[in-house]
Amino acid sequence: MYTLHYAPDNASLIIRLVLDGAGIPYRTALVDRARRQQDSPPYRALNPTGLIPTLETPQGPISETGAVLLWLSDTHHLGPGPAEADRPVFLKWLFFLSNTAHAELRQIFYPHQYAPADGHRAHLEIMSTRMQRHFGLLDTAALQHPKLFAAGRPLGVYTIVLTRWAALYPVHGPRWLDMADFPALEALARAQEARVETRVIARAEGLGPHPFTHPEQPNPPEGSVL
Amino acid sequence: MTLTLHHAPDFASTIIRFALEELELPHTLAIVDLDGGALASPEYRRVNPVGLIPALETDDGPMFETAAILLWLVDRTGRLGPGPTDPDRGLFLSWLFFTSNALHQAALAMFYPHRPAGEANSDAAQAAAHDQIVARLGLVEQMIATRAPRWLSPDHPGVLGYYVGVLVRWLILLPPAPYGIDIDDFPQLKAVLAAHEARPAAQRVAASDGLGPTPFTHPGT
Repeated sequence: MYTLHYAPDNASLIIRLVLDGAGIPYRTALVDRARRQQDSPPYRALNPTGLIPTLETPQGPISETGAVLLWLSDTHHLGPGPAEADRPVFLKWLFFLSNTAHAELRQIFYPHQYAPADGHRAHLEIMSTRMQRHFGLLDTAALQHPKLFAAGRPLGVYTIVLTRWAALYPVHGPRWLDMADFPALEALARAQEARVETRVIARAEGLGPHPFTHPEQPNPPEGSVL
Repeated sequence: MTLTLHHAPDFASTIIRFALEELELPHTLAIVDLDGGALASPEYRRVNPVGLIPALETDDGPMFETAAILLWLVDRTGRLGPGPTDPDRGLFLSWLFFTSNALHQAALAMFYPHRPAGEANSDAAQAAAHDQIVARLGLVEQMIATRAPRWLSPDHPGVLGYYVGVLVRWLILLPPAPYGIDIDDFPQLKAVLAAHEARPAAQRVAASDGLGPTPFTHPGT
């Protein structure tokens, strides 16, 4: 059985929604960020980057959200396989989500890693404008490829969890995402929220009653978001 | 398989060229006129709506994203990396994604330092990118030393060797002092890249793109 190393409302949420959405059994192992457990030698032995998530599998640990999604997709047939005609579409948007949308959204959470304090305002303006463009591209892709971007599936879940965080962060900054600008993503948020596993995981991780259509700051019953 | 690579020499499309040559896959090069604004043209945006190179046109439609194209080539040919049922697949994917979203991203922040927070904060952005690049190359070095993976090895060509090789090339050549990296700080990685750049396929690409005889370990010679 798989073990998902997770922290509430971290990128492990994406993996958890896909695993439960597909009915794949796994156990969870909380990474206690309040005690910086992600930097502990046992966790670094699993994942030398110290990032969350890590999925332990019979073939060893897998890190990087996109890598875990692709491995699960190929192992459990959750998306097009290597020989299928829509494989190129699947792969290009998965990598775009990982190295552009997710990587740049991460900059909005951790501005001090990218700009000095007096540059944070400029940083947010620039990065939020870039993110709007990325969500626009994803909205078009979701409209063109509804099966690949369906709720519960790797691309759909990855996209919609990013919109949740875009709506919530920075905590003390201006709100910069209006989902009404992205109708396909807005529909995806409703569809993902209607799924039973979303309610169960939202309770477990303290994500509130409407984690995608009306996101609230997380209030996890166990573990720490940061 | 009919393949057209949208290419500009010594841009990320060069990574794909190395893989295509190593696989001996016939392909057509469509040279992108970067200065002429070709990436913004409606024709190009139909191929790649993100407006970057590389893009690869295939029988199954256009592809973009460097790592996505590399992985698609691995899976279609069964070469240059572990396939979906290989027990090493998960680790390979972890480091392919890491290279794409952490190492390549940090390199772009070094080369385009105004991007994160404007011109006024370029110096700080470059210093931050440098620290990230050195730390991340250190993780790659440590991974090679502890695991000696077949998919990033001096003994077997692989897509990840070419991908990291081109990034290292740029990280030696392009940053202003004192931010260029010293490949001798990463000896395991250097051995992998030296083996890759010496391969006949790599030498063909280096000659054609004008990258010099040792494009990864001693670029600029």
